[in-house]
Amino acid sequence: MADCLLEFQDVHREFATPAGPSRPVLLGVDFAVERGASLAMVGRSGSGKSTLLHLAAGIDLPSRGEVRLAGRSLASLDDPVRSRLRRDHVGLVFQFFHLLPHLTVRDNVSLPGWIAGDPHAEVRARAEDLLAAVELGDRGDDLAGRLSGGQMQRVAICRALQRRPGLVLADEPTGNLDETVGARVMDLLVGLCADEGVGLLYVTHSREQASRADRVLRLRDGRLAAAEAPA
Amino acid sequence: MSGRLLGAMLAHWRQSRTLTVLTVLGVALGVGSVVCIQLINQGALAAFAGGMRAVSGEADLVVLGHGPDLDETIYREVLAHPDVRAAWPLVRAWAKVAGREDEFVDIVGVDVFAPVDYPVDVGGSDAALGGLADMLTDPGWIALTPEFAGELDLAVGDTFTVAVSDRLLTLSVGALVDFRRRAPLASRKLALMDIAQAQHLLDRGGHVDQIDVRIRRDRDLATAQRRLQDTLGPGVRVLSPEQRQESAAGLLAAFRLNLTALSLISVMVGVFLIFSAVHASLVRRRRQFGLLRSLGAERGQVLRVILLEAALLGVAGTLVGLPIGYGAAMLNVDTVSSTLTSIYLLDEIEQLRFPPLLVVVAVAVGLGGALLGALLPALDISRRDPVALLGAAGLPERIGRMAPGLALLGLGILLAVGIWYSAGGHELRTAGFVLAFFLMVSLPLMTPLVLRAVCSRIPPRGFGWRLGWRGLATRLQSTSFAVAALAVTVSMLVGITLLIGSFRATLDTWIARSLTADIYVTGASWQRDLGRTALSDTVRTRLAAHDAVEYVDLQRRREGRTDSGRPVRLIAIAREGRTDEHWSARTPLLAGDLDRLAGRLDDGAVVISEPLARGLDLAVGDSLRLATPDGPRARPIAGIAYDYASEHGVAYMAVPTLESMIGPVGVAAMALTLEPGRDPERVIDALRSELAGHALELRSNRRLRAEVVDIFDQTFAITRILQFMALVIAVCGVSLTLLIMARERATELALYRALGATRRQVFGLGLGEGTGLGALGLALGLGGGAALAAILILVINRDWFGWTIRFALPAGALLAQAVWIMGGAVLAAVYPALRASRTPASELTREDLL
Repeated sequence: MADCLLEFQDVHREFATPAGPSRPVLLGVDFAVERGASLAMVGRSGSGKSTLLHLAAGIDLPSRGEVRLAGRSLASLDDPVRSRLRRDHVGLVFQFFHLLPHLTVRDNVSLPGWIAGDPHAEVRARAEDLLAAVELGDRGDDLAGRLSGGQMQRVAICRALQRRPGLVLADEPTGNLDETVGARVMDLLVGLCADEGVGLLYVTHSREQASRADRVLRLRDGRLAAAEAPA
Repeated sequence: MSGRLLGAMLAHWRQSRTLTVLTVLGVALGVGSVVCIQLINQGALAAFAGGMRAVSGEADLVVLGHGPDLDETIYREVLAHPDVRAAWPLVRAWAKVAGREDEFVDIVGVDVFAPVDYPVDVGGSDAALGGLADMLTDPGWIALTPEFAGELDLAVGDTFTVAVSDRLLTLSVGALVDFRRRAPLASRKLALMDIAQAQHLLDRGGHVDQIDVRIRRDRDLATAQRRLQDTLGPGVRVLSPEQRQESAAGLLAAFRLNLTALSLISVMVGVFLIFSAVHASLVRRRRQFGLLRSLGAERGQVLRVILLEAALLGVAGTLVGLPIGYGAAMLNVDTVSSTLTSIYLLDEIEQLRFPPLLVVVAVAVGLGGALLGALLPALDISRRDPVALLGAAGLPERIGRMAPGLALLGLGILLAVGIWYSAGGHELRTAGFVLAFFLMVSLPLMTPLVLRAVCSRIPPRGFGWRLGWRGLATRLQSTSFAVAALAVTVSMLVGITLLIGSFRATLDTWIARSLTADIYVTGASWQRDLGRTALSDTVRTRLAAHDAVEYVDLQRRREGRTDSGRPVRLIAIAREGRTDEHWSARTPLLAGDLDRLAGRLDDGAVVISEPLARGLDLAVGDSLRLATPDGPRARPIAGIAYDYASEHGVAYMAVPTLESMIGPVGVAAMALTLEPGRDPERVIDALRSELAGHALELRSNRRLRAEVVDIFDQTFAITRILQFMALVIAVCGVSLTLLIMARERATELALYRALGATRRQVFGLGLGEGTGLGALGLALGLGGGAALAAILILVINRDWFGWTIRFALPAGALLAQAVWIMGGAVLAAVYPALRASRTPASELTREDLL
């Protein structure tokens, strides 16, 4: 397990409700993601996929069980340490891109490097390289708001990879794109992660998208179903 | 329906407590500023009116001289007038209570047979004046108010010492007189004495200060007034109580107007704050309004609900603002009182009353300000299409698109007002206020463009203040109002600081040129006796003959009037001693020939001060027409002097010139120039011991300069609280804006957290934004402040006070203010930044970001 970046051990998560008993979302989830491996998580809406990603990123904490990121149990860490762990080891891609409209494309890609306080020249060079890799090298000075949906998600992928994380977590990365564009974006995401040796855990509704992963897990009623082999 | 809707909508304000508190506080401080100034303004006039009613409440008319007193022979003429039913003379004098710092008693010498019912109390029972035989026979008999007797720890039968000019007098408390039973706002320092005793003790034989007149019941008052004036001639003034109050109001007009204008700036800043708060709250609730509209609510209903909400905020702000204003007025009443007595020679304010009309004014300001601030956002939301209101995307920021147009409008306003001023507007006395108002209006209009131009050009280069500053340009709807409010406040702060600093530097230069003697000598009550009393001959002779003294300037002065009724201080100087230099040789002249000045003064000409020249549009070669007991007298003007001692004006002349107009005048003050090498402080000590037994104020040159500067600082003390209140409102605006931004940008902040930013980093970003708002407000305000200072110094000051003030840069004061402003902005950012830093990464929603 030396290359295991993310590990879920009997993870439970339940949420308090305004009245009545708490609502369980995850019920004893166990899995792991190794460096360079890709894992797709599929499941219906409300099955707990997003909650699982939040727990994986240390944005949320389990009610029970253990989530280990880069070998450290997240529940035992305070918020600043979890934040640093997240920025050092995790890249995030969201369904709705979440780019900052008042920043240029390059600045959006640079954001994680800025937050980490990396040297400016290094951050900029890395952003340029990544944008070139997703064929947006000539759009670095444009404001993010001027891009199409597919382009925005490519920028978001670059942002996720800016600090060379060990793991990328993607929450329905093509959910807001049409099929063709989505496929192209997914190619880029999986390809870049593979090239950089980055582990990838992504959530998707699409069997087609899921099939690109090394492994597929199905989340149903808060539990992981038996792993499926990629089609 | 609107009422029910309103109830539902108000839940929002209950939930957003900080937003509500800041908004209400903004209104409250604006209302507080206005209430504070109006209370003080009205208090100043009420004190004068109270004193007048207490002493002359029964009089229909009062006969006054143009100077401080009248020849008592006029009394017989008044009594003999067919329209007069009764008349009684009064002698007034301020006497300094010995052994007390700046404690004066206002002695009213009254005829015991005057038909006036003063509430005198002897031994626990009321007594009529006519029955007070002791009043006539006991030397120094005086009746004090119960309050003042208590303060001085005196009871009936006790004695105490007062100083009138350089003489010490022993007075005996013969009774208590409760003037406040006649006029609740009467000064507690009023005291009653027999008029003959007063004339004798105060060395005022043959003179009275005023004659109170009661007109026959069957006569028309206005006609009787005119006939009495005609009979008595132009040497006196016959005034009704209303005219006397108007005269006092006129003395204070410039002082009151300037303070009122300053207080309105706080209201303006408060309106910005309301705009911001209401706009933010409406944008957050746009779906509620969209739902209402889609369910059939009409635009008018939505508009009414929003305006009702604002009105409730306005009422809440007014309720909080009233006590704030009262408290601020109470804190400042002493310094304003000092200004009233030392500069305007009026009564001090002892009590502040809350007239019902002021509550109405406060409600109008609070409610009006809130409605004005809410009107534009309310119209905006009520006119939006329900589909746009219900849409997932936020409402587009119109202000960003409008920024260039608004800036052009601002520049256009400035240009138009500038043209208006040059083309003839400058002839209006209020032109300066018009300029200042439109400057304060145009500054906010230019703010969005400046804000966007500056912030959008800042390269982020890291997760720090630059990123925060850049973000300010994307929320112009919120940020430009905070920056505009701060810019207006800073303009006021900087404008007034530049004015005060420049005035102070000019005053320092003038003092250095004007106050050249080593020691200044006056009687102890000189400060308030209007030149009625004089130093005794003994004192005069011994001071002039002292071996350390090279020469002395003997100053005679009287408060007088021009024939147009403008108050003017008449000063005559004579020099005695071992020098050939004429007393006028070092007069700082604005116009006139200094080489020929001495000769012309000796020939009967006068030198007038700059405010008098400007106020009456007089130049060298013109004549100054003064009202004298023998009617108007004209004197040629030989020079116009820089002078900062009197707002209304001073006329300097030779002693024979003064005495030819108003008769003999005693020496009120002496300036001693010592032989070279003499130490003034040691000479003062020697003179004090030589002249022990005389109530003298001996000031070295250094001490007198310090006192002048103290009075100057005191005059501007009230402006500081107004500046402070406006700054607090603006800082509330910064806090409010950052809170609004933290809420509106929850997704953006959550993204930072999701990307690994720690809470501390997000907190730092929030502080950076606060610093950005502060710095931009400061920068814009510095520009606006410089322009405002130019208007204050070159237009308002010239038109209302008539002084030449040279520009000076009070760098230390400005720097200190900048530190305060930036400190305030950063402090204002702390809580919103804390709130922002607590945004969880899980707040990522669909809105806001791309």
